[in-house]
Amino acid sequence: MTDLRLPSDMAELRPALGEIVAQGREQAPYFTVLLSSKYGLTIQIDNREEHVTERTPSAGTVLSAFDGHTIYERAINGFQRDEVEKAAQELVRETDFANYKPADEPQRSGDFVSPMQIDPADLSIQEKLDRCRELHRRLNGRDPRIVNCQIGYVELSEHSIFASQYADLAQRVQRVRLFLVVVVASEDGQIQYDYTSKSGGAGWEVLNFTDDEIQKLVDSAVALLSAKRIEAGEYQVIAAPGVSGVICHESFGHGVETDMFLKQRARAAHFIDRTVGSSLVNIVDDPSRPGEYGSYFFDDEGRMASPTQVVENGLFRRGITDFYSATALDIPRSANGRRQDYSRKAYARMSNTYFDAGTSTLDEMLAQVDHGIFLDKWSSGMEDPQGWGIQVTCHYGHEIKGGKITDRVFSPIGISGYVPDVLQSISAVSTGVSLDAGTCGKGHKESVPVASGGPHLLLKASLG
Amino acid sequence: MLNKIIDALNKRSDLAGWTVRHLINRSAQVYAVPRQTEAQRAAGIEQYKVDVLRHTTGSDGSAAVGSGNATLLPGGDIESAIEKAVLTAGLVANPIHTIPGPAPLPDVPLIDVDIQRNASAVTKAAMERIQTSAARNKDVHLTAAECFGDIETTLLVNSRGIEAEQEETRISIEFVLHGQRGDHEVETFTELRRRRLADLNIEKEMEQRTHHTLDLFEAQAPLSRQGPVILRGNVLGTFLAGDGPRGGVLHNLGSAASKYAKFSSWEIGKSVFRTEVKGDPLTVWANRRIPFGTFSNSFDEEGLPAQRVELIRNNELLAFSASQRYADYLGLPATGEFGGVELPLGQSQSSELLKEPYVEVIQFSWFTPDFVTGDFATEIRLGYIVEDGTRKPFRGGQLIGNFLDALANVHWSAETGFFGSYMGPHTARFNDLKLAGQAQ
Repeated sequence: MTDLRLPSDMAELRPALGEIVAQGREQAPYFTVLLSSKYGLTIQIDNREEHVTERTPSAGTVLSAFDGHTIYERAINGFQRDEVEKAAQELVRETDFANYKPADEPQRSGDFVSPMQIDPADLSIQEKLDRCRELHRRLNGRDPRIVNCQIGYVELSEHSIFASQYADLAQRVQRVRLFLVVVVASEDGQIQYDYTSKSGGAGWEVLNFTDDEIQKLVDSAVALLSAKRIEAGEYQVIAAPGVSGVICHESFGHGVETDMFLKQRARAAHFIDRTVGSSLVNIVDDPSRPGEYGSYFFDDEGRMASPTQVVENGLFRRGITDFYSATALDIPRSANGRRQDYSRKAYARMSNTYFDAGTSTLDEMLAQVDHGIFLDKWSSGMEDPQGWGIQVTCHYGHEIKGGKITDRVFSPIGISGYVPDVLQSISAVSTGVSLDAGTCGKGHKESVPVASGGPHLLLKASLG
Repeated sequence: MLNKIIDALNKRSDLAGWTVRHLINRSAQVYAVPRQTEAQRAAGIEQYKVDVLRHTTGSDGSAAVGSGNATLLPGGDIESAIEKAVLTAGLVANPIHTIPGPAPLPDVPLIDVDIQRNASAVTKAAMERIQTSAARNKDVHLTAAECFGDIETTLLVNSRGIEAEQEETRISIEFVLHGQRGDHEVETFTELRRRRLADLNIEKEMEQRTHHTLDLFEAQAPLSRQGPVILRGNVLGTFLAGDGPRGGVLHNLGSAASKYAKFSSWEIGKSVFRTEVKGDPLTVWANRRIPFGTFSNSFDEEGLPAQRVELIRNNELLAFSASQRYADYLGLPATGEFGGVELPLGQSQSSELLKEPYVEVIQFSWFTPDFVTGDFATEIRLGYIVEDGTRKPFRGGQLIGNFLDALANVHWSAETGFFGSYMGPHTARFNDLKLAGQAQ
């Protein structure tokens, strides 16, 4: 058994969950309990001040019962046994649940912890602060145009226990992220900035920056002072892995969340086993990918994490599910039922979503571009699962001329277009996959940590 | 428990100040999918948020302060939480700043009494109104809807003698209208947030969005063009005030925190524009006193009373929105959180602003300007090209420009409205924005 240290109040309630589930099931055959505790820490250092802030924690219990049509839930603060039992009794009185007979599931149990070499819990705040200060010292003063440098450290620690007729699961999921931001000013007062980050579902061992990486960030921030707006039009584009990830996330990530199928919001529902991209396109969602920011061992509905092949050689194969939509649509479940926190419902959500690797090298891809744009860095994206429109905003990109990336830089750059056209235009995919951490919303709410990425992609897109 | 926390904080001799907020949130949530209710939820959150300020010493030996925080759940270990916050505060050394003292609090209306009384009933009733409205048109169908009703109470106490309490309500609605003609499917997605249900005309919104949904059947990708762009109502509110607590470009560039961090180049007494102003002069209030405004309150997280701050007058920056900390750092008055955006009424009737030709944007995919530079390139979900007496729908393409350059060349309507986080002219005509679509 993995050494999982649960918060004491969660650990105290855990032995009683079997009895609470059994009592709930007397009235509601589908009855589950989720205990969820989320804690986070933020450190921010810049040239003028320092902040160390505990992120607002959440800790609560979700009791769920299903009558075959509607999920009824009680979400209560904390893990007090008497309050949980009282809420469970109230919940099962709400309607007649007895007619719904849940499908059999495999028995599963276990305790899980994110793989870590340097567990943030083993470092004091002073040690974390000192690491951030040291990084700030390495970043600051590299160019006279720098007016501020920021280091931002975020750690998110999530403990959860899921109990049902079939499951007795507990996990600690640890996520860390370290941002570097450089703010520069020109003589005429123009302000620009650039940023980079490292992250993982891991410990501090993934947060190391080399001097080259730091200098590259400073150079790109300074270069942005002479950035121009791009002439709108269609371009040959090479997307860096982070940009590839956002294209993936906004197209066949959100677009294949099966609650969107149920709500008739996803055009992909009509394209199962049909072509949606070039044969080079393979898209995967995988919460079990070790060490990534969007990883977990089981979802908030007790499903064990495993990879889902969403697009295979250009053919859309299947979506990612939550319990409700999978049940209503009568499709196989995947481990993607996730909640922002205990106070919110579960939806079908992404985990680590990425284009799988191809066989080309970046140099081979560049050699195919006479005039185009290398999209270096994304800043935001938005989904349109029904219209299959795509919006990805890039912080900047560089001109490609004669197969070489030039110093000419454009900022910002919007990518728009029709998802199948964009995916169909992918003509080369590089080896290697890397993922960026992000926060994903359903619309503008329901934030969950995710990662997205891929290799470099060569494609055509409308830029503006 | 609040008194125990206060007693524990008062016993400490190593603090320069402290603030405690006792927050209680109750939420009723109802979710609908086609033909049935997907989920009904009741959720509760109760927390005690403690912020402490401690005297420390800078690396050069100068006097400094550090801050730390902790959040306690009912029954939590008070002493260890405070000790952790105090230890954290002792680790950092920032320039000295203070916490606010007591001041009269304005009476800002924030409550929907019906939500306060029975949030579950209000959310279910709102859902029924959405479903009934949607059923009126057989050509579109409601495929998803969510209604949340929230009641939040805050009791704030600090070491300088502030003791304040406020209660606020929120109603949040989302709905999706879907249309299908053969294989051609279209949808519109709508999100609305207000403090009270009475500020949402659900039936009118549904009717408008039904028209928009049907128009999407005819919408084509636009041709590229440059010229006047009209924004009205909620989309104008999103443009000016953003679509979340982070606000928009005005919030960022007008904030003392951004000025201190050198993200904002704005200077008091100088124009906020980098170009010649060709349109109406810009005046902006950062207003936390907008009645029932979604970013309004009686006091903010520090306990600073709500203000209506004249941020910009006739293009010139008059003030920054400043928390106590950044007010102390920059020698400015402490205004507290930004709140909503308020603009004065314009000089033109809407009918004058709607002089053809123009492009009207009804919905962006997501308006995400760069908060530092103001540059934007945003995909359009639905718009209209209005010329030669016709109103032709389009979808796709990007609206391209710079937020500040756009505000330097805009005319505002004399008709005003309230849109949750924005109050002011209902219609704006931006005279020179670029629509990037297909090549002409």
